[in-house]
Amino acid sequence: MNLQQVGQARSSNGYGRRKSEREGAAKSENKISSGKSNANRLASTGMVTGNIGDGPSHDRLVYVTTCLIGQQVEVHVKNGSIYSGIFHATNTEKDFGIILKMARLTKDGSLRGQKSGIELGSKAPSKTLIIPGKEFVQVIAKGVAVTRDGPPNEAHHELYQDIIVDSVISQSRHVDLERELQPWVPAEDDPQCPELENIFDETWNRGWDQFETNKALFGVKSTFNEELYTTKLEKGPQTREFEKQALRIAREIEGEDTQDLHLAEERGLYLNKNFDIDEETRYSSVYRDKGVDDSGYDEFDDTLLNSHNSETFGDTFASIVMRSGESSDGKDDDGVRKSNSSSKDFPQSSQASDGVDLGRAGSHNLANELVSELAAKSEPTPDAECRVQGNSFTELHEAIDRSKEGNRIESEEVQPSKSKDLQSSHNLKKDEPNTGALSSNAVSHAPSFHTSSKTPEKTDCVKGVAASSGRGLSPSSSVGSSSSEKSTLNPNAKEFRLNPNAKSFVPSQSPVRPPSQVLDGSSYYQTNVTAVPHMPTLPMELGMGHPFAGPHVLYNPQVAQMSSQMYFHPNGPQYGQPVHPRQVPYMPGYLPETTYKGLDY
Amino acid sequence: MAMSGSNLQDLAVGCLLSIKTTFGDEFEAQVITFDRSSDILVLQESSKPGPHRNIRMLKVNYVKDFTYLGQAEDPLDPKNCFLDLSSLQAREEVAIRQAEADAERIGVGVTSEAQSIFDALSKTLPVRWDKTVIVVMNEVRVSSPYLPESVSGGTPAARERVKKVLELERKRLQHRRSSVQ
Repeated sequence: MNLQQVGQARSSNGYGRRKSEREGAAKSENKISSGKSNANRLASTGMVTGNIGDGPSHDRLVYVTTCLIGQQVEVHVKNGSIYSGIFHATNTEKDFGIILKMARLTKDGSLRGQKSGIELGSKAPSKTLIIPGKEFVQVIAKGVAVTRDGPPNEAHHELYQDIIVDSVISQSRHVDLERELQPWVPAEDDPQCPELENIFDETWNRGWDQFETNKALFGVKSTFNEELYTTKLEKGPQTREFEKQALRIAREIEGEDTQDLHLAEERGLYLNKNFDIDEETRYSSVYRDKGVDDSGYDEFDDTLLNSHNSETFGDTFASIVMRSGESSDGKDDDGVRKSNSSSKDFPQSSQASDGVDLGRAGSHNLANELVSELAAKSEPTPDAECRVQGNSFTELHEAIDRSKEGNRIESEEVQPSKSKDLQSSHNLKKDEPNTGALSSNAVSHAPSFHTSSKTPEKTDCVKGVAASSGRGLSPSSSVGSSSSEKSTLNPNAKEFRLNPNAKSFVPSQSPVRPPSQVLDGSSYYQTNVTAVPHMPTLPMELGMGHPFAGPHVLYNPQVAQMSSQMYFHPNGPQYGQPVHPRQVPYMPGYLPETTYKGLDY
Repeated sequence: MAMSGSNLQDLAVGCLLSIKTTFGDEFEAQVITFDRSSDILVLQESSKPGPHRNIRMLKVNYVKDFTYLGQAEDPLDPKNCFLDLSSLQAREEVAIRQAEADAERIGVGVTSEAQSIFDALSKTLPVRWDKTVIVVMNEVRVSSPYLPESVSGGTPAARERVKKVLELERKRLQHRRSSVQ
């Protein structure tokens, strides 16, 4: 910085130009800029005009004034005026005249100023203002950094400057104080608030009913009907038994071993001792598994699959497909399992109908699957999975073959597995009220969920499936996929073709009952028997190009037959297990035409 | 000179003084240095810990009276005194830029009311001064006395908008003024 250029001429009058220079300062600054400055050095550099004190006190003065550079300062002058501006330079050699940049007269001490009453702020600031030494009375600067912690380095200064800039920016200089802030005082008529703690405790017996209050205050009538959102439990004479059954099954299911991370966590089993499982793996709903190869979609009807949001279900689908062979793998499923079991079979009238409904006139055995599933419950998961794997493909094949109707959905179901298994499962299923709902209905729609994969070894498969369901589709699917073929597709699977003749599903009135109706199971199912043939018509819009879109596909038919709601709910809490939304096939999507009354809440 | 030689030792570095100036200021400060050659007393006020101080450079001939309060240690730690010219200059640049930007916002020769209106408008609209005329969005001009009627130029829609904002701001200003009083 070369201050010598600054007005050498001295002007003697007016406020306009006052001159001061900092020649000496410039020199000393050069020295200073080398990094360290100390009194001795300054002294030794030898000020040009030596008669002005070279002593340490002078050096300090110079040092301090140098620190002021760039700082906003106020300069008081002899006549009482105050100039505010950015300190630019001072003549340390001579009279300490000061140069300010962008200076404004903030207080006019002159007679002229006081009389005129001009708004001081409205004067344009002078770009450069020179105040002669003799005018200068004092300089006030606030917040001057006089010392530093250490030798300045770039970063530090950058930071420092950034901070300055930021704070400058954040200072909203033009914000006027809008008004005096006053503390809020509650109005007289404000309702006394109940203590906050109480509000959230014991909602059932706190003394305040929000609905009543609303009604009273605003005349808002609640139109909430719980039955719209949940299935009504039929509490008949056999309620207790059903409940017991349900509890038992629930306990069995929950007590199962599982390899699935999510399920395990839910059940409190600490699966993975190694900590590589990061949060994403644990809690993400993205299905990732080693065996699952996304590219496996290729064989399947990509478009169809993709149309169904492959990104959400993606892998799931693949796995589902794979698993379709397997007994409905559970997508999570307790529900699935239950349903499997419930689908007992056709042999039983109601169940059978379910099973049949499920899809095939043939021997579906969802029931089988279910049964096996149930039976398999006790089996260790890994084994089951393996077996499932093996089975899955076969089953898939079978399933595919069986699906004569050309309705893929059906295929899933078909699998005449051991009827006896079914029987047992059936029995089990029958009873559960809610699980039952799941079960019986589930059975029937088990396929829907899981793809009623038919696993010949139902037990194994089921179990595996169930277990695998842990991750929803993943385990089994991955298993399935990885086991026999690289691709998760079943080469023998019939491609899903839209059946233009497919009739829309119109559920009969009775089926439109919530799954809880299962209690009346047998009778209930019977009504559906006739409906079975309808199955094939599930609309293709399922978009499951893949024959094994199964679970989804199956789902529908069954829905059609069974209380469709079952299908609907499978995803839901009925299964007592959180079903990953994505694992649940797009059921809502599938049912546009199947006037799924259940949906019309 | 109000200072006499005997008082000089009282102006030693680190002394705490209470000073009265010839123009009526009174304050307490700590001496950083006193430069006899220029008669400037460099003081540090309200020393809070940290590198930031309030500095006052006072010509001693304006000191009417002072009282010695005590002695403290040197406020300037010689080991810690570094000057980075480049950063100082940079700081100055920044400050100048900021000041220039601020200066742009201030109308020259306008009343404080006008300035308030300008400031209020600038919160939501791009405004600049053109002598004493507020130019909004480069098209609409609001001249003295800055009433809704004084709005001109630009599209009718823009004018309407400016008028609305102007009215609101005026109301707010009035409300504020009345509440302050």
